[in-house]
Amino acid sequence: MMQTGGFSSPIEGAIEWTDGEKAEIEELCGRYPERRAAMLPVLWKAQRKFGWLNFDVMRLVSESVGQPPSEVFAVASFYTMLKKQPTGRYLFQVCQTLSCALRGADALVSMLEDKLEIQCGETTEDGMFTLMRVECLASCGSAPMMQVNDDFFELLNEARVDEIIAALKSDSPLQTPRPEADQWQWTIES
Amino acid sequence: MAMDHRILTHRWEVEDAHTLAVAEEHGAYVGLKKALGMQPAEVTEVVKASGLRGRGGAGFPTGVKWSFVPGPDKRGDKPVYLVCNADESEPGTFKDRYLMWKDPHMFIEGCIIAAYAVGAHHVYLYLRGEFAYIEERVDAAIAEARAKGYIGKNVCGSGWDCEVYTHLGAGAYICGEETALLSSLEGQRGQPKLKPPFPAVEGAWRCPTIVNNVETMAAVPWIIENGADAYRQFGTEKAPGTKLFSCSGNIRKPGVYEVPLGIPMMELLNDYCGGLYEGRTLQAVIPGGSSVPIMTPDEVAQATMDYESINEVAASYLGSGGFIVMDDTVDLPDALTNLLRFYAHESCGQCTPCREGVGWMHKVLERVSAREATDEDLALLKDLADNIFGRTICFFGPSAAMPVQSFLKKFPDVFFGRVHRGGNVDYADLGAVDPAAPVAPAPAK
Amino acid sequence: MALVKINGIEVEVPDGTNMIEAAKEVGVEIPHYCYHPHLTIAGNCRMCLVDVEAGGRGPDVACNMGARDGLAIRTDTEQVTQMRKSTMEFLLVNHPLDCPICDQAGECRLQDYYMEHGNYESRLSDPKVSKAKRQDIGEHIVLDAERCVACSRCVRFGDEITHTGELRLFDRGDHTSIGIFPGEKLSHQYQGNLADICPVGALTNKDFRFEKRVWYLREQDSICNGCATGCNITVCHEQGQIFRYLPRRNDDVNDSWMCDSGRMSYKRVGDMSRLLRPVVNGESVQMDEAIQAIVASVTLGDVGVVLGAQETNEANWALYQLSRLGIPGARVFHVEGHHPDPTMAPDDFLVSEDANPNTAGVQLLAAHGEVEDTDALQTALADGVLKTLIVLGDDVVDRLHIEPNKPAQLLPTLVYLGTHDNHTAQASTIVLPVAAHVSQDGSFINKDGRVQRLRRALNPLGDAQPAYAVIDALGAALGGAPGTAKAAGTFAQMAAEIGGMSGMSYQTLGAQGQVIGDAASAAQSPSTGE
Repeated sequence: MMQTGGFSSPIEGAIEWTDGEKAEIEELCGRYPERRAAMLPVLWKAQRKFGWLNFDVMRLVSESVGQPPSEVFAVASFYTMLKKQPTGRYLFQVCQTLSCALRGADALVSMLEDKLEIQCGETTEDGMFTLMRVECLASCGSAPMMQVNDDFFELLNEARVDEIIAALKSDSPLQTPRPEADQWQWTIES
Repeated sequence: MAMDHRILTHRWEVEDAHTLAVAEEHGAYVGLKKALGMQPAEVTEVVKASGLRGRGGAGFPTGVKWSFVPGPDKRGDKPVYLVCNADESEPGTFKDRYLMWKDPHMFIEGCIIAAYAVGAHHVYLYLRGEFAYIEERVDAAIAEARAKGYIGKNVCGSGWDCEVYTHLGAGAYICGEETALLSSLEGQRGQPKLKPPFPAVEGAWRCPTIVNNVETMAAVPWIIENGADAYRQFGTEKAPGTKLFSCSGNIRKPGVYEVPLGIPMMELLNDYCGGLYEGRTLQAVIPGGSSVPIMTPDEVAQATMDYESINEVAASYLGSGGFIVMDDTVDLPDALTNLLRFYAHESCGQCTPCREGVGWMHKVLERVSAREATDEDLALLKDLADNIFGRTICFFGPSAAMPVQSFLKKFPDVFFGRVHRGGNVDYADLGAVDPAAPVAPAPAK
Repeated sequence: MALVKINGIEVEVPDGTNMIEAAKEVGVEIPHYCYHPHLTIAGNCRMCLVDVEAGGRGPDVACNMGARDGLAIRTDTEQVTQMRKSTMEFLLVNHPLDCPICDQAGECRLQDYYMEHGNYESRLSDPKVSKAKRQDIGEHIVLDAERCVACSRCVRFGDEITHTGELRLFDRGDHTSIGIFPGEKLSHQYQGNLADICPVGALTNKDFRFEKRVWYLREQDSICNGCATGCNITVCHEQGQIFRYLPRRNDDVNDSWMCDSGRMSYKRVGDMSRLLRPVVNGESVQMDEAIQAIVASVTLGDVGVVLGAQETNEANWALYQLSRLGIPGARVFHVEGHHPDPTMAPDDFLVSEDANPNTAGVQLLAAHGEVEDTDALQTALADGVLKTLIVLGDDVVDRLHIEPNKPAQLLPTLVYLGTHDNHTAQASTIVLPVAAHVSQDGSFINKDGRVQRLRRALNPLGDAQPAYAVIDALGAALGGAPGTAKAAGTFAQMAAEIGGMSGMSYQTLGAQGQVIGDAASAAQSPSTGE
């Protein structure tokens, strides 16, 4: 089936929860009338801890929420953001849907492919950056844009892109990643 | 003196309005305190009277929806749940993001009031997975509200308990469909549920559940505080109040604008959005998110920003208010292919016509865009879209079909110009009107 | 009750009856894939879309409609015809052209509905989505994900019937595939049912794979003889060879299911341990010679017979009658208790801990007449008071834990009537081969007291005959009144004498059986059967 490729690859370290994490999981499960509703929250927790979801991680989640591993796999494979293979330290998710396409999303992707020297879907050799196209990120008015891990970087042009890549490479803290996003209407110089 | 129409956005320019202290200085939780002094049924009546309609896309009267929850005598000991749909994934729509980021207390307060009205003790705020950074801020707001006694046991000393939790999705547009959202909330694949039963009677965990959009919830505190009549002074008879329009595309000032419903579409385009760029002409507008039928410049000139007008003038929908403007530089076949790539990626795959048909339409459109298609392919597209519409478990089917149907119907020549003509396909096969034929009035629906 | 209309025809059905079932009542077949009477509603295939004339909004799926007053649906409109055609088109657009190599051919809903409702020219000019084929997902099942139509019947079966949840849908959109979690193969003993409920060739039975095209198979109703549950089955055979058993629907016994052990038990019918020829003192002889040998022994007196829970009511009744009326002083025994089969795993679903199909039948006789129990038989053997013991189908040597060579010391003549070689057959002086349950008309009584019919599907193998016929021949040879030598007649005799069976006949048993002692069964009108 689709996307089975990486699932069997190993992840370094023991695939288990600390006592503290187990307590957090219990708290999460307690928010719902049924334990299985904590499936997504626990999958997120697992992804943040282990980096991505291989079959061993899925088994761990399956024990935590009391569902068969097949159900964990079924859920994990349904959602785009749950990773079925490792990605670079920074995941560049460029929106490609209509409003962004109207304002240069395709050109942005090409630009990133050139600057990072990878094709869309690939990871740089140093493991720093993975480039992906994604669908609408609800940032249509500040297009073109991309999501980098949890943060949105909008109104991108070449200068901004260079600034972002440089800051990430040198590990220097980026300023509020969305300086312009605090505005709710923009003026674009035509 | 008419009241300021900025019901939803009046705290957006206030610094730190996302913090409770600042929000309260500017009126937050006044509505909640007033609601707690009313009977729950009264609260529902006020919202009903205000004419507030669902702002997520369907436009269903909110107060009426709340009244579908069976009363305590009819639902046994089943709890009621209030769920807020913050999954905002409709292309062209980005208003909820700002509502939650700029002023989380407004929609949180609305959710608490709604929960009170329908008899719920648990509120789940379902945010799309990409909004993880917003979830942080919303969680912080919830913590502040809890500390102040607006959330938790014995809310404001009323004797009524209310828990509020955020729940993060993980990347699936279909989870914006209310029953798919509930499936996802329950920990399953985000597949829509068969209706009937409807969520108000049997929703999350088979219990009565009300699902409302963020923007809808955000309007509730003001309505309770100021009354139904005050809300009705904005907007139209059938579409009272204000709406946030997410404006994008080839306009000078893309952004989120709160406008009273009923203003001319041209006013939104030219005054709020700053109009088109120099030297460009308008080619088309999608008024309510990518799923609604596209509009021609003639239709744009006639329509006003409300549910009824857009439907009558253009057989389209106000929808989520995702206002996408396309000027003459836009390649419409490419735009349609772009949209169907989106729908093919997002189909949940549960039911036959959507699972197989949307992917098929996308493949055909890729060939159209690449100039490797014929006019038979265009007729095929229309037929496939017609065969998907109304045959599926949920509204995703029509959402993928309507763009195909409307682009072909309203811009047939653009598409004819993109394909090899075999000669057997004419305008009627695309659902379009032959421009050479005598003009007939556009059908209402 | 609710009064509904289908295509203008009114019919009254219980409130909430699924409209697909209601339509059947008036002879209207609504095509469907994902609906199954014994699983929850999914409503995803969209094949059952109907127009709603009144009482609701359409078009909508009939499977999600419960009968209520005033509901009227139509399946005979142009729109319904067109919807079915387009559903077929969508289902086939990514379906592989596997018919020539697919076991489902001939009983495939894609094929059948295409002929009935599709019949369109393909409009596909784009590549199909491909998925993993030929996956081994369990002891009995092969999965071909490309052929799957995502009806989710298999998912629901694993959740609702076996509660094991191995099968799931993965990914989404047109890449949606059925599969298992790696390493978590099907773990239960009802795997074969998955191939039955899969409407296409996505889940197929390994045992049946490539064995026989289904249009060559002939079918006959019967009952599984694997245990006391008595699952209703269909025997599928061709030219004297059985190729498979399928479960037959009986909502009072096995719904639409059967266990894998029972499903595979067809292999026992023709296996190498079948007894095919009468044997006397180790030599193969003709049937009448063997019968004469028994007659000679019986004439010496001190005869015992042992009833057998592996055998039909007709056989047991014939033996019982023979002993009572044809052999003066004969004693009738039965070995009580359940007979466990170590290769089976009893559960609280369909697999009984009693591996005999007719324990209840023997017990009914035992309660009716003078039938002695196990202790009495053991005592009789130990005391050496019997000269001849005629055993019907029961491996008493094993069950009574007798040393294999000891029976010869216990009594002069041991006679065994059975289907398969076993320790008792090996220890017997005279062996008469009898027909398997699929080669005769007859009946079993299951653990719930339900009397169910067997129908003859194949001719008996070798020299075997149905046991009741062999016993009849023995009776005639002993000079007694000949029996009816017909199963129906034998059953009628039994029903006439045994109170709990009063009013029963093969006709009243029909296809679903009747329960012993059910007063209604006497008054029941004959169900469709014979």
